[in-house]
Amino acid sequence: MSLHSISLTVNGTKYTREVPSRLTLADFLRESLDLTGTHLGCEHGVCGVCTILVNGRLARSCLMLAVQADAVEIRTIEGIGSEGMLHPVQTAFWQRHGTQCGFCTAGFVITAVELFERENSPTRDEVLDALGGVLCRCTGYVKIVEAVDEALESRRDTPGTATEPGEPNVR
Amino acid sequence: MSGEPRKLVGRRVPRKEDKRLLLGHAQYVADIKLPGMMHASLVRSPYAHARITAVDTGACSDDARVAAVLTGEDVRHVPPLPSADAEPTAKQFLQPILATDKVRYVGEPIAIVVATDRYVAEDVATLVRVDYDVLPAVVSPADALAADASILHFDSNVADVWRFSVGDRERLKYAPHRLRRSFKTQRFAGTPLETRGVIADWDQARERLTVYTSTQVPHFVRDIVAAYLNLPQSAVRVVAPDVGGAFGAKIQPYNEDILIALLALQLKRPVKWIEDRYEHFVASNHGREQIHDIEVAYDDDGVIRGLSDDIITNAGAYLQAFTFADASCAVLTVRGPYRIPVFEASATTVVSNKTPLNPFRGVGMAQAAFAIERTMDEIARERGLDPIDVRLKNLLGSAELPIDREVPMTFQGSVIDSGDYAPALLRAKELIDYSVFREQQARLRTAGRYLGIGFGAYIEKTALGPFEASSVSVDTSGTVTVLSGAGPSGQGTDTTLSQIVADELGVPIEDIRVIHGDTDRVPYGVGTYGSRMAAVGGTAVRLTGRKVREKAISIAAELLEASDADLELVDGKAIVRGSPSHFVSLGDIARAVMPGSPLPAGVTEYGLGASEVFVPAAEAFAFGTVAATVEVDMETGVVTPLRLVMVGDSGTIINPLLVEGQYQGGLSLGVGGALLEELVYDDQGQPVSCNFMDYLMPQVDSIPEIILDHTITASPLNPDGIKGAGESGAIAPPAAIANAVSDALSPFGISINETPITPSKVYDLLLEAGLLRRSGDAGSAVEDGRDARG
Repeated sequence: MSLHSISLTVNGTKYTREVPSRLTLADFLRESLDLTGTHLGCEHGVCGVCTILVNGRLARSCLMLAVQADAVEIRTIEGIGSEGMLHPVQTAFWQRHGTQCGFCTAGFVITAVELFERENSPTRDEVLDALGGVLCRCTGYVKIVEAVDEALESRRDTPGTATEPGEPNVR
Repeated sequence: MSGEPRKLVGRRVPRKEDKRLLLGHAQYVADIKLPGMMHASLVRSPYAHARITAVDTGACSDDARVAAVLTGEDVRHVPPLPSADAEPTAKQFLQPILATDKVRYVGEPIAIVVATDRYVAEDVATLVRVDYDVLPAVVSPADALAADASILHFDSNVADVWRFSVGDRERLKYAPHRLRRSFKTQRFAGTPLETRGVIADWDQARERLTVYTSTQVPHFVRDIVAAYLNLPQSAVRVVAPDVGGAFGAKIQPYNEDILIALLALQLKRPVKWIEDRYEHFVASNHGREQIHDIEVAYDDDGVIRGLSDDIITNAGAYLQAFTFADASCAVLTVRGPYRIPVFEASATTVVSNKTPLNPFRGVGMAQAAFAIERTMDEIARERGLDPIDVRLKNLLGSAELPIDREVPMTFQGSVIDSGDYAPALLRAKELIDYSVFREQQARLRTAGRYLGIGFGAYIEKTALGPFEASSVSVDTSGTVTVLSGAGPSGQGTDTTLSQIVADELGVPIEDIRVIHGDTDRVPYGVGTYGSRMAAVGGTAVRLTGRKVREKAISIAAELLEASDADLELVDGKAIVRGSPSHFVSLGDIARAVMPGSPLPAGVTEYGLGASEVFVPAAEAFAFGTVAATVEVDMETGVVTPLRLVMVGDSGTIINPLLVEGQYQGGLSLGVGGALLEELVYDDQGQPVSCNFMDYLMPQVDSIPEIILDHTITASPLNPDGIKGAGESGAIAPPAAIANAVSDALSPFGISINETPITPSKVYDLLLEAGLLRRSGDAGSAVEDGRDARG
């Protein structure tokens, strides 16, 4: 298997690696960079749980090869929010119980963050259209949609990109 | 703050476990990487039914990247997969861990290879050459039972026939009406987003095997792996790390659990196998395929006199650990919440050349609800009655409960412990705006639009035993560690159990750590299935927490020179009631009984902790009603769900936020079952819907508006009155939606008696009813739709 050198930026860090030509981008992220927050649910481009941002656009990392990622900028779930500073989308998923087993969560959060950063006030159809690319078996999507609505709403209330997680909002 | 401290049980507490899931820091099996780890790939049968005439592994044995190859011959000494509830006669239907003489379903494992990485392992697996002599395939129950059927195992394709009756059949003679219907539920795949996966690691120095596996039942897997590898149980540790959904597909100790453990032991290095999605569709247990032939006798006003049900379950090629649960749960629950004085059932389980069947969320109960709830609507239609009125006339009253259904279940009881069914049905009727909908339906019908409404009442056997174990301990820093055997697969167990412990010990929820899914840490445990986590696992933790509370108070009483009755546990402290400055912290209480310190007077044992096991006396029955409205596109046959209402009764609710999540997720799975999902096999036994483009799981826009409400009927079977919630939502939607579609098409006498209700099936029914030949009928959508089918 021939090796190819790629240089790319992932979550703000630059990497140069030799990769076999058939290595998928998802496996590269998970196995070579140990970024295991990107999960593989079907490896045929349907379930969307491996969704990442490539040059700011949504991409299914199971359908891209690592060699195609030369000179690109990637954001994965590990680059969204942090322990002390969840992204508003993550905060809303937490408050609204938008995650159960958590396996699809990265796909939804990345998808919602992309929408959050791209559209100021998306319509209901635009929200559903955006989220339609990811499958979830646990939640029935209800609380995922509520979480995305709440994140979009919170931005309209208080401009800014990140919020303190703070104490659980116990109702 | 004075007065009663605010309890966490009953409140919408966001989950403790979410931060790691949201930040990408969870650890599923696939995320675990061990030094020197090798990767396995399986060779699986491409044929449904064939004799294996040769297996040649020569080509991959010569490959330097290959560490090991095992075929059926190499593991002939290993017992077949276990069947927990099989009759002795069922032994002939058990599955070898690798096929030797014959393969009996597409996807059956024949050989396993281990290589340097997964890509290479998959390459070399293709080098294993298997010669087959293809046999005729048994696909449907009719194939299995045919006089000239191809026989899968020894002499019959019938794995079990179970007959049961209660009541005096003579009484049926006087029933003025009867009807017969056949109701068919399709075959499902579990499809958790995380497929299965196993890593096994043999530590030669310590002679210990660690198995990481995505399972609902780590202790069961530990017992099986130890027994099958001839290791003492103490030498085997099974860890279920974060589990990415299960739904029943991970309730079985599988071939791969044993094979990967065997290979790690043989190679003395870690071996990993991650199921791919195609494998999941063929290699992980399927669910539900079942037919109910119902005959019901009833009065003029729709009161049921008696019911008989002949049930056939298509078990697939082999009996798994709990395959018979589909039959037994169906027999137990097909009378639903109704008063049915005479009942006869037969439950036949047949084998076929399909992937083995095992419980899937709503096991047996969803198929039974489909049969009885469709029957209710058929009675209403025959008699010209309102379907809600027919249900109300037949519902058991709360005073009639508990009631023994008198089904001789193998490991469980058959007593419905408690319930009050009519309020849930009436609340669902109210929430779906029944009378308003009926007006709207009539109005739109005149405009050629066909809307329908349907109800599905359900009962759900929850809180399954045999037991759950827990330990609770307080350390000298005042934090609490909870061990539970009920390892989750996404249910939020850490949060639920923490709420209970927080209330018992008066500690902030952040100071509680829950540990589960590790057989080294948790000595006894069962797992998460049968809607049991809160009612059984939660009760174990409640009892344990209470013991620790009593200990803490009696030690604090000594330290504070107060009486037990004057103390309360609040904010991590034992406080003298009414004198908040007079307190001792939980950490200091723990320190006072640390081994090595002189024990306070009256205290006889070291440590602030306790262990308890909860053995439920019987199963608690949750119940409720789902209502659905739909519109049927008369040109294409597409059914669009418009609104779903669920009024569930899960007894006392610990965390309404999480119970809503369980209900919504269950409903979604029910919508999938009603309209979308099906494992389709062709007549050669080839599965043809083995990816997410062909096996249609609900997407975000498949789910209609959902309205939830609860009634609360406490179960007498545990101190909190908890009933299960995990499977509730999944049971009744196929019944409610099929009733709604039948209601929409009632002007044409169309009944929907099988799921999924796909556009092509509805289209065919419209065609049969002559509705699609009336082209050019002005003012009606009922036209020639053949071109619109697409």
